[in-house]
Amino acid sequence: MIILINNPKSAHQVYATPPGDLAIWFFIFAELLAFGIFFAAYAFARAHNIALFDASQQHLSRTSGAINTLVLITSSYFVVRAVAAIKQGYSNQCARWIGAAIGFGAIFLAIKSFEFYGKFSSGITLSTNTFYMFYLSLTIFHFMHVILGMLILAAVMLKARRGGYSAENHTGVETGASYWHMVDLLWIILFPLIYVIH
Amino acid sequence: MQYKSQAVAKPYFIAAIGLFLGQILFGLIMGYQYVVGDFLFPAIPFNVARMVHTNLLIVWILFGFMGSAYYLIPEEAETELFSPKLAWLMFWVFLVAGALTIVGYLTVPYATLASMTGNDILATMGREFLEQPLPTKVGIVIVALVFLFNISMTVLKGRKTSISLVLLLGLWGLAIFFLFSFYNPSNLVLDKYFWWWTVHLWVEGVWELILGAMLAFVLIKITGVDREVIEKWLYIIIAMTLITGIIGTGHHYFWIGTPEYWQWFGSVFSALEPIPFFMMTVFAFNMVNRRRREHPNKAATLWALGTGVMSFLGAGVWGFLHTLAPVNFYTHGTQITAAHGHMAFYGAYVMVNLTMISYAMPMLRGRSANSRSSQVMEMWAFWLMTISIVCITLFLTAAGILQIWLQRMGTSPMSFMDAQDQIRIFYWAREFSGLVFLVGLVLYIWSFFFKNSEAQAAE
Amino acid sequence: MRPCTLIWLSLMLLTVATYAIGEAGMGGTAVMLTVLGIAVIKVQMVASYFMDLRHTRWLWRGIVLGWLVLVTGLIAIAYLTTIK
Repeated sequence: MIILINNPKSAHQVYATPPGDLAIWFFIFAELLAFGIFFAAYAFARAHNIALFDASQQHLSRTSGAINTLVLITSSYFVVRAVAAIKQGYSNQCARWIGAAIGFGAIFLAIKSFEFYGKFSSGITLSTNTFYMFYLSLTIFHFMHVILGMLILAAVMLKARRGGYSAENHTGVETGASYWHMVDLLWIILFPLIYVIH
Repeated sequence: MQYKSQAVAKPYFIAAIGLFLGQILFGLIMGYQYVVGDFLFPAIPFNVARMVHTNLLIVWILFGFMGSAYYLIPEEAETELFSPKLAWLMFWVFLVAGALTIVGYLTVPYATLASMTGNDILATMGREFLEQPLPTKVGIVIVALVFLFNISMTVLKGRKTSISLVLLLGLWGLAIFFLFSFYNPSNLVLDKYFWWWTVHLWVEGVWELILGAMLAFVLIKITGVDREVIEKWLYIIIAMTLITGIIGTGHHYFWIGTPEYWQWFGSVFSALEPIPFFMMTVFAFNMVNRRRREHPNKAATLWALGTGVMSFLGAGVWGFLHTLAPVNFYTHGTQITAAHGHMAFYGAYVMVNLTMISYAMPMLRGRSANSRSSQVMEMWAFWLMTISIVCITLFLTAAGILQIWLQRMGTSPMSFMDAQDQIRIFYWAREFSGLVFLVGLVLYIWSFFFKNSEAQAAE
Repeated sequence: MRPCTLIWLSLMLLTVATYAIGEAGMGGTAVMLTVLGIAVIKVQMVASYFMDLRHTRWLWRGIVLGWLVLVTGLIAIAYLTTIK
């Protein structure tokens, strides 16, 4: 990593590039762009259908959404601990923290799946109304990114367990971590936007 | 050239340029028919000229792709082509089948052609760009499969690089999605839905992978920049292509009777489709700026950079202009579509083929670049063709905007034919630009013969 | 306590606050802006601390912050132009 400002007096250095492989940051920005457009589209679509959106929103399980937010934030926290661990060369600890993050990701998927099951079995589909179209599209799209994030973390975890990372060389861990934080970050906006604000 | 079997690329390139010339001649015929409606009627009616123009475009581009693959795969895989004989055989099969098809379009009424060629066994004819008779379509599949077998075996027995793998993925995808041209549901909505699985997923999907791989190959050769740098860019570019382009298919599902959510999905994802083209442009300029050698083939460098810019403008920008559903509601099926289509096809697939031919033909003839005067002529051809396409696009865009204003907006919209009358001036201007394009193309062809016999470009 | 643990706890608390507002069924401009504001703070915390953008050039933090301001700004505008 290129260090821009190496000031021994200051507690930290400034890096030229964000953590992990720069390539993943291209994807992160592209994802932010795609979801950002969707979020804005939701808000403006709602503006034309306020009564419909407010009414349909009442049928969502806000509790599930909130718990899921807590779950993802916690799994992000675990990933931060994992990166801290490998920075000190503790591969096994790193792998365990990532395992915990994946576990919480699985909890997120489970809770979300229950929510979907509930909706689908009452006959709600993408074509039911504009609110449900957005709700299902956004959360399913996000769901797929959670899965992808978990796969990336799993690959990192396996490599960490085999001793593939060290204190000097752990770009892969930071790469996977950055992607996972993005997944969390998107949900942090999605939850209030779709479940709460009316 | 490093491997003897790369020589099979030559006939493919020559056929490509020959068919390109034919395509442009029929384009000029149509352009004239836009303003003098019964030109060549009934010998070559407009719809027949159109079939010939569009089918020739696709076939010559395919010849170009295949020639490019036969050239670059042995060099990337560091081994001779699996079977040069098969490559030659398929060349003749494809050329003859293509020629017969064109002759069929021109000499036989389409309905008769259909009954003559077994369209009652499996009906695959009658759809835009997929007008080929059943035997031709089957022939294309056979040629494609043998071609794929040939280059896949070559890669399997040699070195596997990102460029060859991306190219293979694109070419296999091309073949697989062509199979959808055989699927012809009677339900009109489904018919249109799956038609795009060939057309969109070709030009806004797997063809972009082919484009990326070809461009990356030429850039590595010309600039000498580290392979790893170029390969990483290539992966990011094709990932963005697939991520935006697959669901981006939805921008063709706005008005054909599919559910309303496609208007959202199609708009959002296709709006992002310019991103990979933007990246390719940045990638190309970046590589040339960071070059480690002064390659004598300046013309090929110009084509490579031009491909990035023109594909971004034609496919990316012009595509974006009419991709959002609320806009497309008004622009669908107007001259705006034609404007985008011409600059996109030229900027992306015509130019990448010309880039490759520009780089590879001298090599195939035993030199690293053509003579200086020949390259100057080729670069003139580049500018004439490129600027005239830009003019064609601008004129058709203006025509489209006026057409929409007159025919689709306001309190008393005009009829289609009345609106067409009002935009004739743009059609004349377009035809004139098309003539300039032809001049450019002729110069391009001439540059291969011009002052190259004596001159050997210094390394 | 580690800084990241503190951040984590703050994020959890802010989430509970948002949830409580939702459960209370409150609406209106002030509430909407509050909930959106909380989301902005949370995203900034994740970006700066969890993603560690705090220790990179302003360019990267700028891109994420710019995106955040743009998206939440658009959301706010969409709501404000329709709140009765």
